[in-house]
Amino acid sequence: MESKSKSKNRREFIQSGVRLSLALALGSVSGLALSRSIKDDYVWQIDPFECTQCGRCATDCVMTPSAVKCVHAYDLCGYCDLCGGYFKPDANELTTAAENQLCPTAAIERKFIEEPYFEYIINEDLCIGCAKCVKGCTSFGNGSLHLQIIHDICLNCNDCSIARVCPSDAIKRVKATEAYNIKGDFTENPES
Amino acid sequence: MDNNKLYKLSLLIITVAGLSFIFWWLGNDPSSGLRIRVAGEDNRGAGGILQDVNIGEIFNNYSSDYDSLSESWPRFRGSDFDNISKSPVRLIDKFSSEDPRIIWSVELGEGHSGAAIFEGLVYILDYDEEQRADLLRCFSLTDGRELWSRGYNLNIKRNHGMSRTIPAVTDDYILTIGPMCHVMCLDRETGDLRWGLDVAREYESEVPLWYTGQCPLIDDGKAIIATGGKALMVAIDCETGEKLWETPNPSDWKMSHSSVMPFTYGGRKMYVYSAAGALVGIAADGDDAGKLLWSTTEWNHSVIAPSPVCMPDGRIFMTAGYGAGSMMARLSENNGEYSIEVITKYPPRDGLACEQQTPLYWNGHLFGIVPKDGGPARNQLVCVHPDDPQKPVWTSGPENRFGMGPFFIADNKLFILDDDGTLTIAKPDLQRYIQYDQVKVVEDGHDAWAPFAIANGYLMMRDASTMVCLDLNR
Repeated sequence: MESKSKSKNRREFIQSGVRLSLALALGSVSGLALSRSIKDDYVWQIDPFECTQCGRCATDCVMTPSAVKCVHAYDLCGYCDLCGGYFKPDANELTTAAENQLCPTAAIERKFIEEPYFEYIINEDLCIGCAKCVKGCTSFGNGSLHLQIIHDICLNCNDCSIARVCPSDAIKRVKATEAYNIKGDFTENPES
Repeated sequence: MDNNKLYKLSLLIITVAGLSFIFWWLGNDPSSGLRIRVAGEDNRGAGGILQDVNIGEIFNNYSSDYDSLSESWPRFRGSDFDNISKSPVRLIDKFSSEDPRIIWSVELGEGHSGAAIFEGLVYILDYDEEQRADLLRCFSLTDGRELWSRGYNLNIKRNHGMSRTIPAVTDDYILTIGPMCHVMCLDRETGDLRWGLDVAREYESEVPLWYTGQCPLIDDGKAIIATGGKALMVAIDCETGEKLWETPNPSDWKMSHSSVMPFTYGGRKMYVYSAAGALVGIAADGDDAGKLLWSTTEWNHSVIAPSPVCMPDGRIFMTAGYGAGSMMARLSENNGEYSIEVITKYPPRDGLACEQQTPLYWNGHLFGIVPKDGGPARNQLVCVHPDDPQKPVWTSGPENRFGMGPFFIADNKLFILDDDGTLTIAKPDLQRYIQYDQVKVVEDGHDAWAPFAIANGYLMMRDASTMVCLDLNR
């Protein structure tokens, strides 16, 4: 009887130890994840209201192609047939033919929805961040196309090479928890 | 293996390898991985189907009481087509604590159509989003009471607004053009339908992008409409609806958002119009009324909203947005033959340009608001001399930027409306920009682009959804 009791106690001790270890490990991982998520890490991001579409994001980023890409705030878009971000000024025709498109890499897909609306979708893999479409959209449209630094591409260099050359100081450090300044949701950068 | 055999074998191997490389090189297409971008990849539809519209079918009569007043602003750019009020009524130059004195306001369908005023009555072509109808609405100027409306059912969708034009009003007639190019002529006093014309159907015209922006013209009892399509321009008797003349359109120039401007030069009255394709002058009267007197394809842009600014010395200034910039041209007459010569043409960042509003010509100078792609002067009010529209006499400066809203002169004051409904009063001056005052008229206003109308000191203005009557009387 005594031997059985000792054996049971040992087993219970081991089981409790394993449980405790697992709980500690889980707690540590959770704590680490939580600390990572609430830690005030900073990343680089573009304030789209300060950006002047100078084109340097395409040429000065250490990544090739640039970590800066065009993003589209669909809630701001007019879904126009004549899109200033898609077509060259005074394009021959409003068609998808290369000679009419503003984007040098055909990174914008244009899709007819219904009269008179067209949808414009950015292909991030093709976008080089040249901002030609952003300039057209900002000058002639609602400004729904804008540039953002994409963080799964960005190396987050301590000395961001495009921030150094940005003529309007539009590239700033933002909290990693609020890593994107998407137009529509974003109206004012709290740190600007 | 002796050296000779080794040499021959090496030569054979090199020859085979070389030939293989040449075959590979010739057969290899380095661009084979590239995709050719061709037309049609957007799966564009066949275009909107023309709707069967019964022009004038709707009539609502609400009231007949209104205060008859003495003054009118009967059409786009006013009586003299110059956007300058000649009224002796004195207007404020400073806003008091009671300002802005909004006498009345009314919600409209989303759009940019402006009002015309005729002796105490306000006329505006609205799109009723609930009823899905183009409606010409008549209001009392002094209290905003709606008196009647007439229109027709039409299904259209928001496309940066819906309504965009200003009616033309005379003693006898009211003439409108709706978003899909439906022309409606009414009896001014009763609102009875005189006649209607479906321009897109009859002339196979292309409805301009974002719907019709051309404001109709009544000249000497004739409705003047630049149709594009099978005819470039037509004149219709307002009384009967009978077509008086049609200008052939062999080059298939298209309807733009620009409006027809009457102009008399060299003893000849003509209609100057900036079609999508060319700037043209068409005989307005005489045996050859409707004849193309002159044209230039030097001014050829796909989107043109401002109208031609015709100056007494024969110079014509044209400007447009979407990167088009501006052009100054000179009209010449020789034994009844007209020709036009381009003096200068430049992109928007190199001088005076306007995207949406027509520049003002005042005291021998041109005034306009430079578009967003206008470089450092973007969104600034700019004054230039026509001799050199690329050299600003003055600009309003980076601290005074405006949008695409209207600007005009009344009581020797310059009124400018910003996109958000902020009204600025400035002094029209040839030396510098002098601002008197500024006030927010439309709370949360946006896209306040419709041209002004003023009569008896009451200013009609609107943003995308609200029209207000502002008392500017001193």
